[in-house]
Amino acid sequence: MKENKSILDLQNFNLHINEHHILKDIDISFYRKKVTAIMGPSGCGKSTLIRSMNRLNDLIPGVKFGGQMHLYKKNLLEMNPILVRRKVGMVFQRPNPFPTMSIYDNVLAGYYLNGIKLSKQEKEQIVMDSLQKAALWDEVKDNLHRKGTFLSGGQQQRLCIARALAMNPKILLLDEPTSALDPKATAKIEELIIELKTKVTIIMVTHNIGQASRISDLTAFLYLGELIEYDRTETIFTNQKHTRTEEYLTRKFG
Amino acid sequence: MIKAQTLQSRLIQDAFFKMAMGVLSSLLMLPLIFILFYIFSHGISAFSWEFFTQLPKPVGEMGGGVSNAIIGSLLLILISALVAIPLGVFIGVYLSESRQGRIPEITRLCIDTLQGIPSIVMGIIAYTWIVMPLGSFSVLSGGIALALMMLPIVTKSTEETLKLIPDSLKEAAFALGAPYHTTILKVILPSGKSGIISGILLGIARVSGETAPLLFTAFGNPFMSVNIFKSANSLPLLIFNYATSPYQDWQRLAWGASLLLVLFVLSLSILAKVVVKK
Repeated sequence: MKENKSILDLQNFNLHINEHHILKDIDISFYRKKVTAIMGPSGCGKSTLIRSMNRLNDLIPGVKFGGQMHLYKKNLLEMNPILVRRKVGMVFQRPNPFPTMSIYDNVLAGYYLNGIKLSKQEKEQIVMDSLQKAALWDEVKDNLHRKGTFLSGGQQQRLCIARALAMNPKILLLDEPTSALDPKATAKIEELIIELKTKVTIIMVTHNIGQASRISDLTAFLYLGELIEYDRTETIFTNQKHTRTEEYLTRKFG
Repeated sequence: MIKAQTLQSRLIQDAFFKMAMGVLSSLLMLPLIFILFYIFSHGISAFSWEFFTQLPKPVGEMGGGVSNAIIGSLLLILISALVAIPLGVFIGVYLSESRQGRIPEITRLCIDTLQGIPSIVMGIIAYTWIVMPLGSFSVLSGGIALALMMLPIVTKSTEETLKLIPDSLKEAAFALGAPYHTTILKVILPSGKSGIISGILLGIARVSGETAPLLFTAFGNPFMSVNIFKSANSLPLLIFNYATSPYQDWQRLAWGASLLLVLFVLSLSILAKVVVKK
């Protein structure tokens, strides 16, 4: 795992919500321009972990976290969450384009909501680039000013990816991005993720073991808030070191 | 297996139930249709160019209109809307954002209580707050009394509308680095726009026919007045005064004013429905 530089390093990361210890002493490094999948049974803390990386957990009442999380060399836990979220984009389980905005405005929403003024030329460029990166441009280029909610579920999800990419994030977090989509739309998103890793570091949570094996370079296995195993996907799937991992992969539980 | 006969009787029961619902619902429409028809047939004869443009004439003189009452009503609605809408929308946003906790709960209780207070009490409050210190009846005090009535309607509809907006939208905005206030102003409020506007329209419709709170605030005035610190006439007050008068000519004006008011409220209600559908 030393062939590439790490971009995000967690050391001794702990998270409590009120009295519940959700994440326990997580040590993990994520590598640049790789797809890392986080797997584990329901309730193991996968989503909480990924939401810590853009400080979205700050919104939960009673949340406390400790340890360190370095984005490059800066401790992300001490940065202003608003700045963190501009560097670390996120796509959610259910597609959530803004219903009041057109496709065009949805892509630019990050700029609009942060009060960043752009010239018309810059806007057009960003919209085109982002939609092309999200493999949606050809399907929507003639309907850019229609509402984003008119699109199909899979298209909406790609619009959300374009919206996140428009901010030029260093890392893209995907929280079970295909669990609400049909197989065809899922395949399209998976293709897109493989393409995108040349441009951005991707960390994704997935329930789908097959999906992790198809598209991720590295896989982490989380169980009851602890990081059980983390290695190249190949190794995890063929030569795992822990029985828990094996049992999960062979569907004995979870 | 269900026997064929029981199935048959069930189907009949079903049909009967559906029919009963339909009949009862149509019965509900009867009073409204009756009121509309009655007011229309009496009021439409009062409508004329003079009705909308002239002042009321003294007793004995023919003709005259209700222009001062129309202007007065519009002024009252304007003032109450200016006070109640921003306040109501903000309180509604606050309540939908903070669902638990002591302050939201107390606020919610206050809003519910405010909604239940008789309208004449609102008039007394506005009288003691504004009329007494300023020393005269005024449009301002009437507007405040109406605003107190409109406030709970706007607050409630805003809260209810915003509660229905999925949290995922808020998350989407936060994940893009949007600060809290822009998330509310540029994502959450626009998403609930139609519901909020319809609540505002219904609030306006509700207060535009109120008479009791105006009796000792806006008071009434036979002349044209656009000074908000002076008394002025309004449609409900004019109806109240003229309908109880013994003069046929004045009663005719009261019918006309009633029709105007009903048409105004009706169109606001229809507009509110249209806005929601959009």
